[in-house]
Amino acid sequence: MKNIMKQKQSLIVMGILALVLLGVYFLPLTVFAKHILVLTLFYAFMGTGWNLMCGYAGRLSLGHAAFVAVGAYTSLLLFSHFGLTPWIGMIAGGLVAVVVMLLIAYPSFRFGLIGPYFTLASIAVAEIVHYLLIYGRDLTGGSLGMSLPYVKGTTVINSIINLQFDSKEPYYLVILVFWLAAIFITWKMERTRYYLEAIREDEDAAAALGISVNKNLIIAACISAFMVAVGGTFYVQYFRYIDPYSIAGFTLSLNMALVAVIGGSGTLFGPTIGAFLLIPLTEVLRMSLGAQIPGLHLFLYGILLVVCIIFLPKGIASLPGIIRAKRAQKSTEDGPENQASKGVL
Amino acid sequence: MAEKILAVENIVKRFGGLTATNDVSFDVNKGEILGIIGPNGAGKSTVFNLITGFYPIDSGSITYKNQRIDGLTPDKICHLGITRTFQVAKPFPGLTIADNILVACLPKAARVADARARVQEVLKIVSLDKKANTLGADLTTLERKRLELGKALATNPEILLLDEVMTGLKPKEMDDMMDLIRELKKTMTIVIVEHVMRVIMNISDRIIVLDHGQKIAEGLPREIAENPAVIEAYLGRGTKKDA
Amino acid sequence: MDMILQIIISGLLLGGIYALVSVGLNLIFGVIKIVNLAHGDFLMMAMYATFFLFTVKGIDPYVATLIVFPAFILVGVVIFRLIIKPLLGKAETEVNTIIATAGLGFVLQNLALMLWKSDFRAIETSLTGKSYEFAGIMLSAGRTWAFVVCIAVALILYYVLMRTKVGSHIRAVSQDTEAATLMGINVNRIYTLTFAFGIALVGLAGVILTPTFYVYPTVGLYFNTMAFIIVVLGGLGSFTGALIGGLIIGLIESFAGVMASAELAQVFSLLIFLVILFVRPQGIMGKSARV
Repeated sequence: MKNIMKQKQSLIVMGILALVLLGVYFLPLTVFAKHILVLTLFYAFMGTGWNLMCGYAGRLSLGHAAFVAVGAYTSLLLFSHFGLTPWIGMIAGGLVAVVVMLLIAYPSFRFGLIGPYFTLASIAVAEIVHYLLIYGRDLTGGSLGMSLPYVKGTTVINSIINLQFDSKEPYYLVILVFWLAAIFITWKMERTRYYLEAIREDEDAAAALGISVNKNLIIAACISAFMVAVGGTFYVQYFRYIDPYSIAGFTLSLNMALVAVIGGSGTLFGPTIGAFLLIPLTEVLRMSLGAQIPGLHLFLYGILLVVCIIFLPKGIASLPGIIRAKRAQKSTEDGPENQASKGVL
Repeated sequence: MAEKILAVENIVKRFGGLTATNDVSFDVNKGEILGIIGPNGAGKSTVFNLITGFYPIDSGSITYKNQRIDGLTPDKICHLGITRTFQVAKPFPGLTIADNILVACLPKAARVADARARVQEVLKIVSLDKKANTLGADLTTLERKRLELGKALATNPEILLLDEVMTGLKPKEMDDMMDLIRELKKTMTIVIVEHVMRVIMNISDRIIVLDHGQKIAEGLPREIAENPAVIEAYLGRGTKKDA
Repeated sequence: MDMILQIIISGLLLGGIYALVSVGLNLIFGVIKIVNLAHGDFLMMAMYATFFLFTVKGIDPYVATLIVFPAFILVGVVIFRLIIKPLLGKAETEVNTIIATAGLGFVLQNLALMLWKSDFRAIETSLTGKSYEFAGIMLSAGRTWAFVVCIAVALILYYVLMRTKVGSHIRAVSQDTEAATLMGINVNRIYTLTFAFGIALVGLAGVILTPTFYVYPTVGLYFNTMAFIIVVLGGLGSFTGALIGGLIIGLIESFAGVMASAELAQVFSLLIFLVILFVRPQGIMGKSARV
């Protein structure tokens, strides 16, 4: 009973959030505020994509920036050289990212790479992409990065096709749609989510019940890679400039993981909650203090992450559950018999 | 009229220098309860692991309803109709009992809603319906065993492999479990590995005995109880010498 | 022929440095079984400490060791108590410690950035820029001494682990925590000790490296990657393995750096790392199977 409610409830919450965020579009806000909103939704989107594989399936990837970079550079290069609209460019970028993911995921899962080894492998992959991007400087501009060729928005249609706008509002709408799509896709994959959770909790038990471990992990991994690659394209179109350090770097990977973990990994809205909590805070900090004290906002980020992982390892979204459990514990008595035969993890 | 649905033929499994399963063959007939007993280390659980694809066999064959299943992955074998429980119960610790069962129902359900509809029913069979919202990590040993059985039942198996379900249960709990197994026999075939003699003798139609990876006896419970080779395997040679 | 010998020797010296950096990581990863992503950032902190001790107080790096090493033991104890210990023994220890140490690394990097800005610092000691010549081969003075220190550290560590009581306790805990507890070993104390020493060792490495490398807030990242590759390549918990791993990686980088570009050298090392992770995660010398 509870579960049906959860699934339907989530749909309603999704709808309400979407309407609220759409309404925000019409508010008269400063340019800076609008920038924060775009950035927040961007990270909510990226975190949701990361979450599908890493939150539900429990495989901690700290190298997802690899796929972001693949998506970003693919669509950027296609646009610079062939004028290909970023809308198709992002699909192309997404597909390339999926191929890259398959190259890594397949051997990883087949060789049973778990826990810290998987994480280290993911970091290595991102580093490889990072260095390859620098090495291919003739194509990518190396560590100096690449700029998005500026196309003056002559007509609205033109702007949309080129995904380049002179103001922030259209970008906001685009990322809102992306975010909604990511949440919706995650929501729709109800069965897969259960399978992934089972796999995370106990792979052998899951297999014994008929769940194909490899198939589900690879599906989640590929969708996750596709999503963040598309996000990479958005990044290029919004910031108009990318370089290997920022787009394939550990900071971006960690940020994606951060918003999901602090918000609540393995939950539908966790990454969004995390993004809405962290991004506005750090952006405001960066603007006000960042000029005088570079790195302060990241410093606080780091502290927040450490504190959060110690006290609320399952993120903010787990708070209601914890409070409920504590209340239930207070009312029932833990008899000695119960204590003795309680299963140990 | 015995209808053979599972044929295990000459299976061998080696782990490095140790031959855990040495040329074991037996059949399982539809609708029966087949017991597997043997001293510790005899390789009983290994046989389950081999049948369900958790370990590959080194040689021999395993045939289920005229289809070779050795070499298939565990999830495929479950889909075909063979489900096993684990000796040390494996609940999904972070999920509630209800979700544990739901996950077990999902692979064979066409829609998620269909799976959900069955959860209560399964919970009732294993008497866990009142604890649907408890987390897998917070269960007592008995509850874990029940959940383990519940998850297996949720997959609608044709053959259910029970791996030492009685361990750690009190006598009354064992009786309840035996009644449940007898009830289940009406709709499925059961192979049960057990240490507790009175359980095995009471509910099995036939018994096979393993020792050091080999089958040393097969027959009706009565015959097994009187079989000198079996007694020797359990108690050792020259028991009179033991003080 | 001379050229090849030069590349080999340079590679070995570099390898020695890498091995020195990764010794602390090997200890922590091998005994406590957690990944300390902030490893390189502790190195960075030690380098800054050395830098300031030299420029402000005129203390030679090799003397600074006597200050930094004990200081970092203290730091290690504090970090362990505050951050690592609360996370141990739970279901998601592995994941949580990775995230926590990643956050810690972030904190350290940005602390350095805030306090000392992103300028590259360097110190000039009697060793800077000097090279020894030996049979026609040029040996960078700084790196040669780092190599010597590395060997010394490895020998001392070997002695401690193999011949002292504490060492045997540490090895016991790394092999089987439960059994160790049953034998009366205070696992928690061993963990604290190991972590503190791991941090102190990387601090030591930082001090030794300062004369030969630029110091900046993100210098840790580079060494971090190398350290992990070496630890996995050489084998968890095996010191000879880490040494061999270091030498191999040093050689690879030396050769690849000459034949191809610096970036490809990195890519090559990383690819080897991936292959090892897939095929033989216990590394060259390690005995323990997958975590």
